[in-house]
Amino acid sequence: MRPFLVVILAALALATTLSLYRVLHGPTLFDRLTGIGLLGTKTIVLLLLMGASTGHLDVFLDIALSYGLISFLGFLALAKYFEGRGGGEERR
Amino acid sequence: MTRTLLDVAGDALLLAGLLFILAGAVGVLRLPDFYTRLHALGSCDTLGVGLMVVGLAVQQETPQLVLKMLLVLVFVGLANPTAIHALGRAAQKSGLDPWRRPEREGGGA
Repeated sequence: MRPFLVVILAALALATTLSLYRVLHGPTLFDRLTGIGLLGTKTIVLLLLMGASTGHLDVFLDIALSYGLISFLGFLALAKYFEGRGGGEERR
Repeated sequence: MTRTLLDVAGDALLLAGLLFILAGAVGVLRLPDFYTRLHALGSCDTLGVGLMVVGLAVQQETPQLVLKMLLVLVFVGLANPTAIHALGRAAQKSGLDPWRRPEREGGGA
């Protein structure tokens, strides 16, 4: 396992933790959804990096692809569900 | 283990992608309202993820893995802007107003 990949993995984990702040504190409902979208795209790269650092990239690639498909569909369903229902007011 | 030119180029691409992803995360944290945050998420994250996937792909040796990496790249490039657009449209239809610069006290304009 190369140390360079470990550093990149740690920085990505830090960015993911930062985006969790939007999910917890974001004033409106849609800010929380923004944080969830940020999590979804970063997880794909995290999975690929884990595959490259452990040497099982063929397995992790399939996992990353299916995770991306599922998170995309879930995100679209959430966006469609909250469309036109209000939720623009600030709520903490 | 010898390092070829492609390995170094892949590491540089990984670093560049990480820079874009961190900039996107800071933008989502610091920008003033929902639509500006959405802008940071949509552009920075798509570019960052694409750069990192390309950086990993040039370090692989088997062509099957490279092809699948390109599949991930195309998928992220298609899916991420679509999801961001759907979210922005949902927020606009729900009556969320864009942010404006606050007016000054007693200003004539």
